[in-house]
Amino acid sequence: MTPELNIKPKTYDFYLMLLTSAVLVVIGLVCLYGIGYYTYTNETAPQWTQTQMYGDYIDSMNQLIYPFVVLLLVALGLCIPKRIVPRQSLLAAGTGILAATFLIALITNIGTSLAFLLAVSIVVQAAVMVLTMLGQGALTYEREGYFVQTGSSMLHLGTVIFVFDFVSMRTSELHLGVFWVATILITVGTVLSFYPGEAGNIARFLRPGSKSP
Amino acid sequence: MSYQEYLAARDTVTTIGQPVITIILIVSLLLGAVSLYHMVMRDNRAYMLSAQLRKIVTLLLILGFIIIAWFHLRIYQTIELVYPPELANYMASTMGTSATSLRFAVPLWIETEKLYFWTLCLSIFLAVSNYRYDFIRTKITALFSSAMNIMLAAFGILTYYTSNPFREPLPGLHLEITGWYQAAGVGDPNVLYGALYQLYFRIIYFYNSEYMWTHPPMLFIAYASLVVTFVGCVFMLFRREKIFDRISYSHAKVGYLLLTVGMLIGYPWAVVAWEGKDWWWDPKINGSIMMWVLYSAYLHTRIYLKRRNMWRATAILGIICFLSLVFTYLLTYIAPGIHAITQ
Repeated sequence: MTPELNIKPKTYDFYLMLLTSAVLVVIGLVCLYGIGYYTYTNETAPQWTQTQMYGDYIDSMNQLIYPFVVLLLVALGLCIPKRIVPRQSLLAAGTGILAATFLIALITNIGTSLAFLLAVSIVVQAAVMVLTMLGQGALTYEREGYFVQTGSSMLHLGTVIFVFDFVSMRTSELHLGVFWVATILITVGTVLSFYPGEAGNIARFLRPGSKSP
Repeated sequence: MSYQEYLAARDTVTTIGQPVITIILIVSLLLGAVSLYHMVMRDNRAYMLSAQLRKIVTLLLILGFIIIAWFHLRIYQTIELVYPPELANYMASTMGTSATSLRFAVPLWIETEKLYFWTLCLSIFLAVSNYRYDFIRTKITALFSSAMNIMLAAFGILTYYTSNPFREPLPGLHLEITGWYQAAGVGDPNVLYGALYQLYFRIIYFYNSEYMWTHPPMLFIAYASLVVTFVGCVFMLFRREKIFDRISYSHAKVGYLLLTVGMLIGYPWAVVAWEGKDWWWDPKINGSIMMWVLYSAYLHTRIYLKRRNMWRATAILGIICFLSLVFTYLLTYIAPGIHAITQ
């Protein structure tokens, strides 16, 4: 028996938003640290980017940012699929995936574990997007409306694909191709999320006989 | 002869443009003073006058932009880098290109034109928002409109003193063009090859790059839109009026969309143009990511505005976002790295 989760859905969403925002702000702080480090090092050793020091800096920045990217993905994983999976099952699955990610990081390295987490996230977000577009399942969203929901799922799927492409496919020939897929998803998703009314008008204009979904 | 025509065009730009931007400065100073007077004295006549002054600034900025566009067209028409015949043959046999010369198709937002373009976009956003929202309807929204006018005035003054595109039009590009004609005048093929080699990659990957026509303008339009969001957030701190959130959010949506797409478009450009160079995690990249994640956080917190303390938290976050935007813009000038203006 799984114990009942005594948090109201709205409160759960609110805390998830707080977690997401906090992680985003911390990523911003890591970037601020990077600016300071780069500028300071350039003052003390002007040619440092031609040396191993630059490689070490890139590695240290990646190591600093990866845990927060993982947290962000976990937050996304707990937020978006809540529309199709009960929250308790979702929390259990999230914990399991996080544990598996941690285990893979111990056995292999952070890059592989992050690639695993991203691959799982892509599958989940893609499933949510397809179900949303088909209008299936008991999907619940913070903001209602077909275009907002579709846009939101596209935007999140695009973001996860972008991070996956960047973390795991940088040396692949498909790198830029996948990048453009992510960019299109993010762009279309953002437009649909921000301007659902206008998107509805365009849809009605293109298919005059049909009702808005 | 073509170089002489280019120099004549450059002189014309200064002769016509300098008075235009001087008038922009004067009207901006007036706009700032009148808007400030309205904010302090709540005088309606001052508000009406500031609305007229804002329109004049916008029209003058558009006029200045037309002058800039004309100059860029003249650069394209007059400057042609003709390849030496041996090089044209070599390129035809190895690269399959039949081109025998190169021209500069320079975007309208480089060097000192950047801040001018940002100011122009801001003036247009203000014109649109003044048209959309009836600011005179209430005292507080009229104050908001005056605060926006003060921002525009500040941008006009800053542009004149720090980034005047007419005082010495495109100094960096001018040096490169002059260098090319000097090399061509020497008559030594090796000197010409050297000059062409340097300029070729600059033209292909920078001046004429399709990314240069899309990446920077998207960011500058986004920046202009986010200035309105910033002023809205400042007002949100003091007054819990729904209209400030509405204005902030509607401009944040435009800004965030363009910021996201603009930044994404910069990535494949960097991969191609900076292949083998050390560009990842440089200060400008760090700053851009920082700005983007902060605006993402702002858009997330905004969903829960009705919750306790969230109104204030969102407003503060919106202000921090704008500070990070200004900081990111300045990084090009104050921090090292591949984006640095000194490199």
